[in-house]
Amino acid sequence: MAEAIGWLLDVYADEAGITLWLLTNDDKRLCLHMDFDVTFYAAGDFSLLRQAWIYLKEKDARLERTIRRDLFLGERDVMAVTTSNPAGLQKLFGELQRQFPSLNYYDADIPITLRFISQTNTHLLGRCHVRFDEKWLQSIEPLSSPWEIDPTPMPLRILTLTPDCNPAIRKPKQLHVKYGPREYSLSLDSPRLFMIGLKADLQRLDPDLILTDYGDTWLFPQLRQWSEETGIELNPNRDEHRPVMTRKADSYFAYGQVTYRGAQSYLFGRWHIDRRNAMSFGEYGLEGAMEQARVTGIGVQEMARKSPGAGITAMQMSTALCNGVMVPVQKQQVEGTKTLAELIRADHGGLIYQPLIGLHGDVAQIDFSSMYPAIMVKHNISPETVGLENAPEGLIPKTLRPLLEKRLMLKNILSDLNPRDCRVEILKARASALKWLLVVCFGYLGYKNARFGKIESHEAVTAMSRELMLQAKEVAEDMGFTVLHMYVDCLFVQQVGFHRHSDFTPLINAIEEKTGIPIVLEGVFKWVAFLASKRDARVPVPNQYFGVFQDGTLKYRGIELRRRDTTTWVRKIQLAALEVLACANTPQEFANHVPDVMALVERAKQELRTGRVPLDELIVRQRLSRTLAGYKSPSPAARAALQLQERGRQFAPGQSLEFLFARNASGVHAWELEETLAPGMLDTKRYCRLLDRAMRTVLDPCKPLLALEKLF
Amino acid sequence: MGRTLITITQQLNETESMLSPFRRTLRRSDQYVFDGLFAAARRHIAAIGQEESLLPFESALLAMLLEQSKEIAVLQQKIEELIKKNG
Repeated sequence: MAEAIGWLLDVYADEAGITLWLLTNDDKRLCLHMDFDVTFYAAGDFSLLRQAWIYLKEKDARLERTIRRDLFLGERDVMAVTTSNPAGLQKLFGELQRQFPSLNYYDADIPITLRFISQTNTHLLGRCHVRFDEKWLQSIEPLSSPWEIDPTPMPLRILTLTPDCNPAIRKPKQLHVKYGPREYSLSLDSPRLFMIGLKADLQRLDPDLILTDYGDTWLFPQLRQWSEETGIELNPNRDEHRPVMTRKADSYFAYGQVTYRGAQSYLFGRWHIDRRNAMSFGEYGLEGAMEQARVTGIGVQEMARKSPGAGITAMQMSTALCNGVMVPVQKQQVEGTKTLAELIRADHGGLIYQPLIGLHGDVAQIDFSSMYPAIMVKHNISPETVGLENAPEGLIPKTLRPLLEKRLMLKNILSDLNPRDCRVEILKARASALKWLLVVCFGYLGYKNARFGKIESHEAVTAMSRELMLQAKEVAEDMGFTVLHMYVDCLFVQQVGFHRHSDFTPLINAIEEKTGIPIVLEGVFKWVAFLASKRDARVPVPNQYFGVFQDGTLKYRGIELRRRDTTTWVRKIQLAALEVLACANTPQEFANHVPDVMALVERAKQELRTGRVPLDELIVRQRLSRTLAGYKSPSPAARAALQLQERGRQFAPGQSLEFLFARNASGVHAWELEETLAPGMLDTKRYCRLLDRAMRTVLDPCKPLLALEKLF
Repeated sequence: MGRTLITITQQLNETESMLSPFRRTLRRSDQYVFDGLFAAARRHIAAIGQEESLLPFESALLAMLLEQSKEIAVLQQKIEELIKKNG
C-alpha cells in the first residue's frame, strides 16, 4: 500500500463514489477514488411514504426506516434512501420529488464536498495523509484544521490567460500567457496553431489554477468551438474523462440591485477562475476565496463566483451534518403570528442616531467588533433557540463561534504588524473574506429562503444591538462625552480636552464591561465633518462624513469618492481636495485651506476644457436595472446600451455600461463603440457640474465661514 | 431589507406629502418655517423609532417641540449674556 502527504485540491462526485485530487509534498498531483455512499431522507404521511418505498424498490437505492432529528420538529420517523452513486443522487431525488411532492425531504442537496469533509474530518485545501492501493483510497487522515491561523501555503501552479482586449468589444488578436516569471503571447490569427500551442503549454505546465480574464464568457466557449472546427481535441481539465462543466448566464436581484452573472466554466482536477466574472474576487482576491473554501467546504472555483451567502449556508449545513441534524431541502418554518403592536415593536433595524451637522474637532470613533455575530454567539440567538430560556447552544452560534474567533485573531495579528510587512495584504484578504461570511450570516437569519432562518431570530439580533448601542450611549454620557453620531455598531464621541488615544481607554473599558461585546477605538479624528442633506441643509444624513485621523489618514463614507458611478477624474480631484483640507489640524483651520481647494478645482476645470484630461478618466459606469425595452425614458446607461445594440450587442439587466457624456443627440457616447469621441464633442459643462457637486460636499461644512454660494 | 413595516423616515415622508396641500397654501416665508419643523423631527428619527407607537407622528411633534425648546433656551442664554454685558 502506498501513502502520501499533501493538500486536498479538489473533490467531486462520480458514478462509483468520489474522485479526489491531492497536491503532494513531492509536487505530484495524485488522483484517487473512493467508494462513497450518500443518503437522503423523506418524511411525512405514512401512506405516502409506503408508496414512495414501493416506487424506490425498482431503483438503485437501499431503503431503511429510521429516526432522525429535524432542527425545529425534533425526532422524526423518516425513510432513509442510500445510493452508492453520488453523481446520480440529484436525478434519483428529482424523480422521487416529482412523484411525491408533498413529502418533506432532507439532506438531498448537500454538496458532495460537505459530505466528504464531515465524514473524513478533513477540509478543502487542508493537509492530509492518505493511504492507497493503485488509484483507490484506503484511508485519509487530517493533518490540519480549517481554523488554523497560519496554514501551510499550497505551492500552486498558476497559469494566467488574458486576451489583449475585451472580446465583447472587438475580436482579440493575442492571448497573453503568464506562468511564474515567464510571460509571452499566443497569436489567435490561426485557431489551429493557437490550439496546438495552448495544448502543449497545458501539458507542459500542468497548472493547478487557470486564472483568466473573460475565460467564462469567451475563452472556454471559444476553445470548444475551435476544437470542433479544427478537430484538435483540447480538454482543459486535469481529469481527462470529464468535459468542462458549464452553467448558463443569468441576471438576479440581490442586495437591492440587479446583478448579471455571465456563463461559467468549471474544471475538474484543477480550478478555473475568471477574474471578470467572480462576484467578490475584487474584494479579497485568490487568498480570500481560498480562505472561504477552507472554512466553508465549498470549492474555490464556486466560492470565487458565488455570494458569501452560499458559503455561510454550507457552513450551517456542515454543522447540521456533524451534529446529526437533517438539512431540509425547503424551508418549513414561517413567521409566527404577531399583533400589530408586537410587529411595530419587533420590526426594526439597527440604531441610527442622526449626526450633529458640521465640523467637529477631536472626535473618537469606537466600533463594536463584529457586533451582530458576537450578539448571536453571546446571547445564543438561533432560529431554534429564540424565545427559549437556557436552551443549549444553537446551530447558528455553533457555526459562527470558530469563525468569529478566527477573524478576531487575524485582526489582532494585523494590528500588531508593520503595515509594510509582506504578510499584511494576505492577512487582510483573509480577514475580509471571513468578515463577509459573518456579515451575511445575520442577513440569512431573516432571508425568506434560508433553510435555517427565522425572522424572529433576525429581529432578536437587531433588538439586542439597539439596546447595546443605547447602553453604550448612556455610559458615554455618564462619563461626560457628547455622542455626535451612532450608526448601527459604531459611535462618534467627543469631550473637551480629550484627544489622546489613552483618553478614551476608560470609556472603551466601561462600554465593554457593560455590554459584554468587544469594542475597539477605530481612531481619533483631528476633525470630522458630518454632512447635511443636499435637499435641506437643516436635515442631517447618517453615515455621510469625512475626516482626518491624527496620523493624517483620511476616512470618508457616503460621499462621491465612495460611489461606483463617480468618474475617476471627479474622484481624483475630490481626494486631492480632501488631502489639502487634511493639512488643517483643527476645525478652525479648515477655512484657511479653502482657497487652495478652489485653485485646485479651477486648474482641473481648465485641464478639462483644454482636452488635457485622458478620456478614460471621464468614463461613467452605470448598471442597467431592466431590459432596454423596459425603460420609459432611458437612463444614460440605457442610451449607451442602445448605441451598442444598433451594432449587434445584446444586454441583460444588471450588466454594467461605460460611457462618456457627449454633446450629441443622445447625450452619451458608449465607451465600447469602435469610433472614439471626436475632440470638442465632450460635454465639459456636464463634467464641471459633476465636479462642482463633489466639491460642494467637501466644502459645505465650512459654509458658515464663507460665502460659498458665490464660488459655485 | 427584510422589513415588513415602512421605516419611520418613510412614514415622516408620507405624512409630509399628505400635508402638502396645507404647506402649499402657506405663505412662502411660512413654508420655510414649516419645512424647518420636519427637519427638526428628522434629527430625532432614532428616538421616534424607539417609541414603538402606532402613531409615530405624535412623537414627531414632540421632537419638533424639543428642538423649539432647545432654540428658546439658547436664545434665552444669549439674551441673559447681552443683558449682563450691557449692564
